[in-house]
Amino acid sequence: MGEVLRTAGKWIGGFVGLILALIVARAVAPPGSVSEQILDALLDTGYASAVLRVAVPVAFAAMGGIFAEKTGVINIGIEGFLILSALSSVVAVVRLSDAGVSPQMALWTGFFAGILVSVGAAFVFAVFVIRFESNQVIAGLAIWLISLGLAPFVSLILFESVNSPSVGTFGTWEIPLLSEIPVLGPVLFDASPMVYLMLVSAPLCWYVLRSTQLGRYIRACGDNPRALDTAGVSVSRTRYKGILISGVFCGIGGAGFTLGQLGRFVGAGETSIGGRGFLGIVAYLFGNYNPIASVGGALLFASFDALQFRLQQIAALDVPQQLFQVLPFIVVILVLMFVGRTRIPAALGEHYDEEE
Amino acid sequence: MSPLKERFEGLLGTIVRLSTGQRILVSIAAVIFAIGVGVLVILAAGSVASCGSPALYIMGVEFCYNPLEVWLVMFDGSFGGNFEISRTLRWTTLLLFTALSFAIPYKAGLFNIGAQGQFVLGSLGAAVGVIWVATVVPGGAVGRIVLVPTGLLAGAAVGGLYGFLPGYLKVRFEMNEVVTTLLFNFIATAVAFVLVDRYFVDESIQGTQTEAIPEAAELNPQFFANSADFSLPVFVFALGIVAAAYWLLTRTTVGYELRAMGSQQKAAIFGGVDERFTTLFSMTTAGAVAGIGGALYVLMVLGRWQTGPPPLGFDGIAVSILAGNNPLGLFPSGLLFGALQSGGQAIQFQLGIPSELVGVLRGLIILLVATPELFRMMGKRLNRRGVIDIETEGSN
Repeated sequence: MGEVLRTAGKWIGGFVGLILALIVARAVAPPGSVSEQILDALLDTGYASAVLRVAVPVAFAAMGGIFAEKTGVINIGIEGFLILSALSSVVAVVRLSDAGVSPQMALWTGFFAGILVSVGAAFVFAVFVIRFESNQVIAGLAIWLISLGLAPFVSLILFESVNSPSVGTFGTWEIPLLSEIPVLGPVLFDASPMVYLMLVSAPLCWYVLRSTQLGRYIRACGDNPRALDTAGVSVSRTRYKGILISGVFCGIGGAGFTLGQLGRFVGAGETSIGGRGFLGIVAYLFGNYNPIASVGGALLFASFDALQFRLQQIAALDVPQQLFQVLPFIVVILVLMFVGRTRIPAALGEHYDEEE
Repeated sequence: MSPLKERFEGLLGTIVRLSTGQRILVSIAAVIFAIGVGVLVILAAGSVASCGSPALYIMGVEFCYNPLEVWLVMFDGSFGGNFEISRTLRWTTLLLFTALSFAIPYKAGLFNIGAQGQFVLGSLGAAVGVIWVATVVPGGAVGRIVLVPTGLLAGAAVGGLYGFLPGYLKVRFEMNEVVTTLLFNFIATAVAFVLVDRYFVDESIQGTQTEAIPEAAELNPQFFANSADFSLPVFVFALGIVAAAYWLLTRTTVGYELRAMGSQQKAAIFGGVDERFTTLFSMTTAGAVAGIGGALYVLMVLGRWQTGPPPLGFDGIAVSILAGNNPLGLFPSGLLFGALQSGGQAIQFQLGIPSELVGVLRGLIILLVATPELFRMMGKRLNRRGVIDIETEGSN
């Protein structure tokens, strides 16, 4: 526990230090200069809220990825699960709204429909990699490519356009009293329900993986499946569980992003998910398979993504938008270069034949 | 060197679990399966789509699309005439390059998911290179002799560099190439867009695209229908590159080393193969090949660079996997995907079925080919029931 507190202390200390440094820089920046405008954009509660919001799909994708990989299954299909969940949540909401269901009810049902579809797809993926011994990387890739074709296909059939109509979002939940706290209140206690869910899920995942029986089985399954098998626990079943949990988180990520932030599905190009699932993979590599650190990674990437919109409003900067959108990818590669090795589960990617 | 070679050959023989014949069977079964699933997708889509006159009734349910008709139109759209055949072969030509870009590193045990990015940047490099050089060379035959190789070299250089990068990140920082190449695709699209938008944009027309390349650099359609943007010599060139890759992989020391790394890494390193070299070499070669594909896309098909490139890099993965990552299998497999691409345009145009269906089929085929165990299990079951008679020797 002491180690955990130390790590948490380091992170919080670093974060507070960064904010203080920015405040100092703001104080000494020449008035009216571009750097002053940038610092103003950064030191704004609106920016902090945006970072939390933007991090949601990446963070859930990362948590999903951790559960699959900890059992020893590489899940490149995360991106695909996010896409499927994003589309099906919108389809459900549109159908329910047409049937006269109230907007909030329709949104929440759509949210769960998205999760359900994602879990279904994860189950198919699990059957292929566990029962039929597919190559895990290729099968995951196939899941992504199938989703990349299927989602716009379904959208075209149902909505006659690769993009869905707008369905609205959950909005924010204001928590009474707490949201009155200056600075922290509007950021942490007047946010989308998906942001709350993310902030609750990260420590929950960490606890489950570290301290529950399921978590111990999952970790053993990825590091030493033979030992787990010898102890009388089924490796296949543990892997099924890991992948299905992965499907749940990816479902929350896809549907949560769509219904919590964007309000529609976009099927053009790489779809509205646009690599957020892959970013999730990088987030857990960055966080070394620790759910809390991985969500921290997701927040870091989100801070770049959210910055783009703010910097665009500063005319003097002339930021190339497309480049900024992929800035998280570039940052990730640089960070992974210098942060050092990730300790991956020992049996990752290997099929395990159970002893009868 | 030769005892080393022999040892590797022996290793390869014992390690590869499936024989060539079994691989081909798996590939054919996967395609048939995918087509079957495609029928279900078409039926499902047809039952929810709204149309004036349903094409099919089954037990009282109206279906807007008749799967049989869809497959016929698809076939007709890919092989039905001169134009269709050239269109199919045009895609096949380009797919051979992106498929090699996956196959070569795969032999060395690496996944290059980045052919799309290498293709995009290679095509931009070719377009810009040709436009620059064209300002100093005359037109006509002389220009052609200079410009076409310039385009190909520029594409290969840019693509190669973009393939080298993930290879370098792997040997220097131990970064997983699956992750880096995936991310590099997104980066490439954005970088290309910004470069063209800021520096190379043709302001006389709308959209983000470069100027047209000079006529002397265009690889004009020959022998086949003009409008299909297909040139037979280019196709022959593509087959030549595939043959060269086959030669490289099977007849040279470098090729043996690559395959040894892919099939038995520890033994290969023990046997003296340099992992850094095989990684950098195979990734760079892969990038260069994809870059040449990109160059040909500019020189033969578009005549300029523009945004929204087709997903040839990802299709290439499917082509290579279906071919068992064997260069010899790339032509039939590339032809199939070329036909799917070509036929996809036909079904969209004639029947109003979104050509994204092809993307679904592509994914299904990849998934099924990666799963030989599925077919082996089915074969065993059928064998036990006495439906078919197969020898189950290979199924341990």
